[in-house]
Amino acid sequence: MKTTGDMRKDSMRVRPALPTASADPIMPGRRSLISAAIAGGLTLPWLRSPAATPEEGVTDTEVILGVSAAFSGPSRGLGIELYRGASAYFDDVNYNGGIAGRRISLKIYDDGYQPDACVTNTMKLMLEDRVFALFGYVGTPTVTRVLPLLKKFQDESVFLFFPFTGAQPQREPPYGDFAFNLRASYLQETAGLVDNFVRIGRRRIAVFYQADAYGRSGWAGVRAALTRHGERIAGEATYSRGTQYTATMRRQVEILQAAEPDAVICIGAYAACAAFARDAVDLGLEVPIANLSFVGSENLLSLLTEGRDPADAERYTRLLVNSQVVPSYEDTSIPGVREYREFMQRYNPAVPAELVTETYTPFDHSFVSLEGFLDAKLMAEILRRLGDEPSRADLERAVLTLRDFDLGLSEPVSFAEDRRQGLQQVYYTVVDDGRFVTLGDWGERLS
Amino acid sequence: MQVIKVQKLFQKTLFGVFALFGFIGISTSILLIYTVDAYLAEEYETNSLGIAQSIADASVDILLNRDLAALQSLIDQFVEIQGISYVYITDEEGEFLAHTFVPGIPDEILGADHADISTVQRQLPGLGDFVEVSRPILAGVAGAVHVGMDTGIIALQVQRAIGRQVYLISIVFVLGVVGAIWLVNLAARPIGDTLTYAVALARGDEEQAAPVEGILVRKDEAGQLARLFLHFYRHRAPSTPSTDGTA
Repeated sequence: MKTTGDMRKDSMRVRPALPTASADPIMPGRRSLISAAIAGGLTLPWLRSPAATPEEGVTDTEVILGVSAAFSGPSRGLGIELYRGASAYFDDVNYNGGIAGRRISLKIYDDGYQPDACVTNTMKLMLEDRVFALFGYVGTPTVTRVLPLLKKFQDESVFLFFPFTGAQPQREPPYGDFAFNLRASYLQETAGLVDNFVRIGRRRIAVFYQADAYGRSGWAGVRAALTRHGERIAGEATYSRGTQYTATMRRQVEILQAAEPDAVICIGAYAACAAFARDAVDLGLEVPIANLSFVGSENLLSLLTEGRDPADAERYTRLLVNSQVVPSYEDTSIPGVREYREFMQRYNPAVPAELVTETYTPFDHSFVSLEGFLDAKLMAEILRRLGDEPSRADLERAVLTLRDFDLGLSEPVSFAEDRRQGLQQVYYTVVDDGRFVTLGDWGERLS
Repeated sequence: MQVIKVQKLFQKTLFGVFALFGFIGISTSILLIYTVDAYLAEEYETNSLGIAQSIADASVDILLNRDLAALQSLIDQFVEIQGISYVYITDEEGEFLAHTFVPGIPDEILGADHADISTVQRQLPGLGDFVEVSRPILAGVAGAVHVGMDTGIIALQVQRAIGRQVYLISIVFVLGVVGAIWLVNLAARPIGDTLTYAVALARGDEEQAAPVEGILVRKDEAGQLARLFLHFYRHRAPSTPSTDGTA
């Protein structure tokens, strides 16, 4: 299993020196050298913190974070993009000497977006690899199954940081104490979509969703939001997790057509949602089709437009509305976005070769990789706040010191005992000229 | 020719063997179908009820927390069990809170009375035949869990059991037929030899009887019969002269 640190070292052999203070990407600074020397054995053994042991995923030279995500299967684009964004930031941290002289390394396993594989991977990460923390997991059905493990091993203070899911289980009892979230929740995303649709007179809302915990989480959000408006879900259709774009969604479209909806909210991954949008247009279901942030907007757009002439592509995408939990990566007026674009261009991270089992062409920029970048930026800040001798036992305390932290977005990040989610804002995007742009006026666009 | 006629007597025995095997095969298969079908149906129903009860027990806290994603995650794990085709959970008003249907909830189930927790047979077009068992959540005030068991899997198990039995009976049948033929031949050969010997003696040609004279030393009934024929032959009355002077 290759780590980010290894990758970085490999890539640095062929990459020209970057215009930063140090020519050696893993050379720690002077202060860090002293810290490393102390941690490495210059102090007497009985005076060293028991926390600074390899068993906790911390060595003299690195902090190891454990990742289980989809790097294969129909949703691999999500895992890959999230990893690339996070790696861009971690690469920069490592290039500049790491944190307290320690590189941030990722121990990565592919779960293919399958719950059982994710549980197996997590067991390995916790019990064999003894990682410092879990980071950058992808998906609700996977994360939902892992949460009981965190509770089981709660005495070891293994926390899950910033999973790529907006579901409730890791935000609420009994597992909410074992995870920290950055992104807004699906409840917030679906509430925003429903509120806006209702506001422009589209009250009959149907749901197309993945038949698992993720789909149910979004379905519950839509249901709750509609209930507040005195409405019920107009119709619903499901698909099986892992469905490919080549699959037909005619039956699902027919089921929803029978409900005569004013809009459809999709809670799924890009392959199935693109297939649904394609078949909906083909069968004449001409209503706005909304997708949540998890869908992987660029992957969705790519599937719907690839091989089509512009007019045809516009026909399939003009009624798409995607909610996002990060701002548009095109908006360079936002400092965090500028930093993201700069790091992505500078480091252009690639997925470790042993995780590549299927072809995938990454995007230069994407909402998912921007989220991964912000996740990594906040994770690095938490590690910094742990000081020279990071300990799992201090992790929660370090997170709770984050108050109005500036990630470079318009919204500051805060955590508290009863606030385990850093960001609250939801953004809405539509497709114009073959790319997702911020939706300005709902009424003008979708009435 | 005479030998063949004697063996034809035994063809009835062989036919009897075939008929017996056929009867045994068919009757045991019918019994097996009935027994296995009843046993498996009862077994699956019991298991399904156990699963429904487990989900109902585990659902209480989840439902009270209104965490439908966790509820869905819970039922998804049970659908991976062999024979369990679908699971759905309804609240006390009959609204679906979680289910495992793709691409949607069948109309037959949408229109059912979800407060009724008795075991029902369901035919779902395009999906198959099912036995649905139900269990109340929190004595029914929080809804009910419904578990659908595919009866097709019972039929498949019965087919497998019958297949194995037919396979076994076929082997026994082939061995039985080979054994029966061997035994019939074993019994028919001395009788045929006795017949040949008797015919030769009747023709007054002891030389023609020489090849089968071994029959005389046998200690069984065939040997006794041959010796009797020889005795009659040697102590026969002189033949009446014919009118044309020949003996």
